[in-house]
Amino acid sequence: MNRLESMAAAVFGLAFLVLALLVAVETLMRKVLNVSLQGVDELGGYILATSAALAMAVALVSRAHIRIDLLHQFAPLVIRNLLNILAMLALAACAVMLLQMAWIALDESMLFNATAQTPWATPLRYPQTAWVVALLLFVGVAGLQLARVGLLVTRRQWATLDRVYGPRGAKEDLDDEVESFRQRSAETGANP
Amino acid sequence: MSMIAVGITGFLVMLGLMLIGMPIGAVMLLVGLTGGMMAFGQAFLTSSASVIWGVMSENTMTAIPLFVLLGEFLLRSGMADRMYVAFAAWLGRLPGGLLHTNIGCCALFAATSGSSVATAATIGTVALPSLQKHGYPMRDSLGSLAAGGTLGIMIPPSINFIIYGSMTNTSVGKLFLAGVIPGLGLALAFMAYIYVSNSLRGTQLSVVAVPRAERIRLLRNLLEPLSVFGVVMGTLYFGIATATESAALGLVTVLSFIVAQGKLNWTLLQTCFLASARTTGMILLIVAGAFVLNLALSLTGIGEAMTKWVTSFGLSRVQILVCLIVFYLVLGMFMDTLSMMVATIPLAYPVVSAVGVDPIWFGVFIVLMCELGLITPPVGMNLFVVQGIRPDKGPISDVIQGAIPYAIIMIAFAMLMIVFPSIATWLPELIRG
Repeated sequence: MNRLESMAAAVFGLAFLVLALLVAVETLMRKVLNVSLQGVDELGGYILATSAALAMAVALVSRAHIRIDLLHQFAPLVIRNLLNILAMLALAACAVMLLQMAWIALDESMLFNATAQTPWATPLRYPQTAWVVALLLFVGVAGLQLARVGLLVTRRQWATLDRVYGPRGAKEDLDDEVESFRQRSAETGANP
Repeated sequence: MSMIAVGITGFLVMLGLMLIGMPIGAVMLLVGLTGGMMAFGQAFLTSSASVIWGVMSENTMTAIPLFVLLGEFLLRSGMADRMYVAFAAWLGRLPGGLLHTNIGCCALFAATSGSSVATAATIGTVALPSLQKHGYPMRDSLGSLAAGGTLGIMIPPSINFIIYGSMTNTSVGKLFLAGVIPGLGLALAFMAYIYVSNSLRGTQLSVVAVPRAERIRLLRNLLEPLSVFGVVMGTLYFGIATATESAALGLVTVLSFIVAQGKLNWTLLQTCFLASARTTGMILLIVAGAFVLNLALSLTGIGEAMTKWVTSFGLSRVQILVCLIVFYLVLGMFMDTLSMMVATIPLAYPVVSAVGVDPIWFGVFIVLMCELGLITPPVGMNLFVVQGIRPDKGPISDVIQGAIPYAIIMIAFAMLMIVFPSIATWLPELIRG
């Protein structure tokens, strides 16, 4: 799962680095040489749709989808786990609904041979296919997570369930950041 | 049941689900879909499909991952850390000493890194032990850190503004410019408070003096973050680039600094990519949910009914805005602030538009309310992170009490903005188009 997460994140990051370079070049050329590379903004939109779905899957694996832990932290373990399972079900339902919406959009584009209203006139079926595939990954990841929740339930590993699927508290985020900062200072040798 | 009753019930159900710890983006998406499909069946799903595709492939929204990546690179490459050293050397000399440094550094660090957790972690780790050593009261130190960290979402680039702009069809570039003066104004107001309160109490907080030559040398540390900020804001101000383009230019600038320092390696890239993907995925799910919810509210007519209902009380612009301050103050005590913003825009925006509030101004106002939500207990993100970082193991009430004066300053600032709207609207009006 971690390997999948890193790969999805790498695709996400590289796509946007390339996009940033293209956009920067386009902007400079437009302003300095008065030449426009048409369609970079359109490409950006397509990259966003696909990588957004990847990013949602990454966020799911690392429990980054925000949950308010105000009441959660005071509830007994049984209630906490009930909420954790419900939260995972809600996220999975979300993934499925997004996939269904993407499918509807793709289906309509195919039916009407829809093209983007841009100079490129891109047939929308291509970017939307990529979008559907990325959302399939989101649904797949949600399915795997649910299966793991199910496994933990059948094994009655309640404490593990709460640890692995409970909301990420501020403390956890903070510890990660402090660790990251310590590493940075150690690398540069200068503690600011 | 009337539309208004349905609207209020739906909103309360949604809040309830969020408070018991259901994932916020998922709650908004599912509540929106449930409501819409109850009214229109399958047809609502088809409408949502085209709305979601529209938002997710909208060029303006690409600015979100680009700015998130930009912040990660500034943070993980250590550029933001070095900025702190320079600031500490220059601001440590003012009365109130290092507390000013906290405000200044937190503001800049949060603005560049885009993360209030990273801000508290970095500044807190460095500053708190030294504040303790120099005999600063822990309460004041913690309060200044918590409050300083909130300034990041007002000082551009700010993700909150991008989302607000996309939800209300307002120019993100203008929103960024609109945030500059209120952001700096708040920072100055915080520093003025520190100055006055320390002078009145007569506490002689030790002042840390750094030799001038050293201070001049340290200015170099500001060069990189400031040039990135300059590229982003300059291209926006002179109308050269859209928000997305300025984000791309800023990102390329940071990367070229990192390459020039020979620091570009796969580990750094991978760390930044992972953190950005997490943040972006979380934000975009909330955004997707907000758009579906917005669609449900407008198609069912609930949004319009609520607007009519609120405006039927015949409240003036000022009365409505004061009510909104109270509303956001209470809501911000319990909710994550970004979610609070996106969940309330579909209802609040039409109401204030109906009484003639400027859309750019309201964007700044709502972000100010988010800042307030970051330091109001019991759920104030910055209170928790600052509490988590303190070296002594004191109670969280220290942080809360330390932050209260800043919360009051924020409310006063909101009132000031209501009386003088040009605090927010003057700068964006200077650019054409």
